[in-house]
Formats: sequence, structure tokens, C-alpha cells
Amino acid sequence: MREHDLLVAALLDDDGLALEDFSRACAVEAEWVASRVREGLLPVAGDAPEAWRFTSVHVRRARAMRRIERDFDAAPELAALVADLIEEIEALRARLR
Amino acid sequence: MQFKDYYEVLGVPRDATAEAIKKAYRGLARKHHPDVSKAPDAEARMKEVNEAYAVLSDAERRAAFDQLLARGARAGQDFQPPPGWDSGFEFSGSGFSDAEAAGYSDFFAELFGRMGGAHARPGHRAGGAEFRARGEDHHAAIQLDIEDAFRGARRQVTLRAPQVDAQGRVTLAERTLDVQIPKGVREGQMIRLAGQGSPGFGGGPAGDLFLEVRFNPHGRFAVRGRDLAVELPVAPWEAALGAAVPVAMPDGRTLNVRVPAGAQSGGSLRVRGQGLPGDPPGDLELTLRVVLPGAASPRAKELYETMARELAFDPRARAGA
Repeated sequence: MREHDLLVAALLDDDGLALEDFSRACAVEAEWVASRVREGLLPVAGDAPEAWRFTSVHVRRARAMRRIERDFDAAPELAALVADLIEEIEALRARLR
Repeated sequence: MQFKDYYEVLGVPRDATAEAIKKAYRGLARKHHPDVSKAPDAEARMKEVNEAYAVLSDAERRAAFDQLLARGARAGQDFQPPPGWDSGFEFSGSGFSDAEAAGYSDFFAELFGRMGGAHARPGHRAGGAEFRARGEDHHAAIQLDIEDAFRGARRQVTLRAPQVDAQGRVTLAERTLDVQIPKGVREGQMIRLAGQGSPGFGGGPAGDLFLEVRFNPHGRFAVRGRDLAVELPVAPWEAALGAAVPVAMPDGRTLNVRVPAGAQSGGSLRVRGQGLPGDPPGDLELTLRVVLPGAASPRAKELYETMARELAFDPRARAGA
């Protein structure tokens, strides 16, 4: 029974996610990710898409951007701006705790 | 299965224009959006609102839904779609992705899941075409204590996910996973469990499960990224003369920290490498708080009076008060 097996978890940030896995984790197409990386809305190191490695921060940001684009019919630039603001508020809140 | 009235969900009349529906949707999205709202049920409400909008913003789906209302279906009633209810409608099928539709209710899946191809659930597939797809990735949060970051932890995670039975019915199934969390996790980090998302279709591989780490509030320590922050109470003579002061750490160790002579209340000290474990480990930030002993006993009173007489100290001199 797999329910009772002990699953050893891997930290996503140890190796990061390649473009294909990352796109799937965020429920978007690879081209959606690539265009936002090229526009500087989703900063990641490296020029070639094969070299991109995405971390937890990217997953959270891309999922928020996708929700905002979809739910508010927002342009990618605007969704990225909202994601910036959300990240900043979270960082400030964390300092208050 | 209960009938859902999508017009009620969006709070618009049955004859609302497309523009009015969009406006109502935008208003509710601003109110319930999980990225903005702090209400615990924001995500569930937003899902409901999205689902209603997916139906009412699409002319084909809206027309089919209107027909059900015209036949007398009402919110909250037990409901099974009449056979052939959607005949005569053509569904072009775009408008929501597999992953989005998977989050919608059984009611939605039953009505619209079969329309338009690739996003259909397996039991609802029209025709008998070969269909093989990887299961979806799932996301969930996991609450840990700061202590768990030092030691690693074993946690049981209970998840509810829709499952399709042999008859093609969609039910919510609960399953419990026993997960070993590695040490060194930090707030906001994701843990990936390969193959623990949705099962694949037609022999495709299962999706993955992503758990986002959140820390329970700790009585003493605050977490800032990799760094740990804590207040360190010191006696006036420890602050004035300098001292080695013990600090009890979340993993049970006691660190001896050197408080430099002349330290002041509110001053901070940083101990490299003593925050959350990792490569590199975080730092420990100590904020000093000088705690004064009371002057209740005659001896304590005498000591304070001696200081007052002999130190010529004015704490307001520098502040210009």
C-alpha cells in the first residue's frame, strides 16, 4: 500500500526544475514561461531555455502571475507588477512576525 | 449531486448582459482573490466564482446551462443531467485548461467535462480515441515547526483529491502520505514528491505533489529566510561590562554568545552560521534587551542610589530631550 510507505521528500531548490517540469508544476505552457522570462517578468539565470532552473520562489511567483492574468484578464506586465507587490508585502509581514 | 445556480454565484440576473457578467466577476475576483484576500475560504470562493464565470462567459455553455434552468432545475436540488440535455449544442471546447477544470466541482465536470475534448475526465470521453496523458501536478501546504528544520521531521499529510471510479463517477477520495522531511527546510520552500499527484490517463505517468513549507509561529524565535531572530534579555552589568550569555537554541543546544562591553538595549548581534541549517547555513540575529533588577530590597535601593550619586549619568543628554 503506497499510503503507508514512508516517502522521502526532495527539496525542490536542491536541483531546481527544468522548463518542462516547471511549466507543468505551474499548469502553464512552456511558451507562456519562455515569453515571460524573455520579457524579464520571471527572472531566471541563463540565456538558453535548457539551462534555466526554477526554484520554489519561481513556482510561487509564476502561479500567482497566472492566476492574476486569468482572473483579472490582466496583461502579463501588470500581473508581474502585482506579483512584485505581493512579494514585497510578504517580506515586510515576515519582518513584523 | 446538487444543482448549482451560476447566476446566484455571480449575483447577476438571468438576463444579464455579457458586460454585466464580466463586471460582476471582476468585482468578486477583487474581493475573493487568494493572492489578495486573507479569508481562510478565499481560495474555495474564488474557485466557485471562476467556475461560474467559465460557464456564463461562454455563449455555448451559458445557452446549455440556461436550458437546464428553463427545465426547472434550481440551486440546492438533487440533480442529474437529463439524457441528451446538451444535444443540439456545439461546444468548441476552449476556454479553460485541464488543470483549471480539474479544480472545478463535480457538478461542472458532469455537465461540461465531456465537451470539447482534451480536458474531459476519462470517464466522460466522447468516442473511443486513444488517450494517454500524464496526471496533473498537485500543490498543498505543510505546517512545520522551526525545530523540524534542524532535525528533519516525519509528517503525515492528508489530501483530498477527485478520483474517477470504474463507472466514470467522480468522487473525493482521501489519502494519507507518510513523508520524511529533510532537515534544512525553510519557509516558502517547496518539497517535491514524485508520482504523488493525479494518476495518469491511459497508462501515462502520475503527476507530482508539491508541498509548500510554512512554519508554525514559535514562542521565541522568528524566521527570516535562513536567519533566526530572537530577543536576548541581559542584565545591566552584562551589557556594561560584557559577558558570555547562554542562548537556548530550538534544537536543544545552548550557545554561549559574547555580549561586548558597552552594549545597549535594542542593539543587535549577529552569530554567523547559527541560523537554520543549510549550505550555507543562516545566521542568528540577537536583539539585546537590558532588563533592570527591581529596587524592592534595601540593598538594591542602596546600589541604585550609589550609581545615581557617583555615575553622573544623564540618559537624555545625547537625545537632546
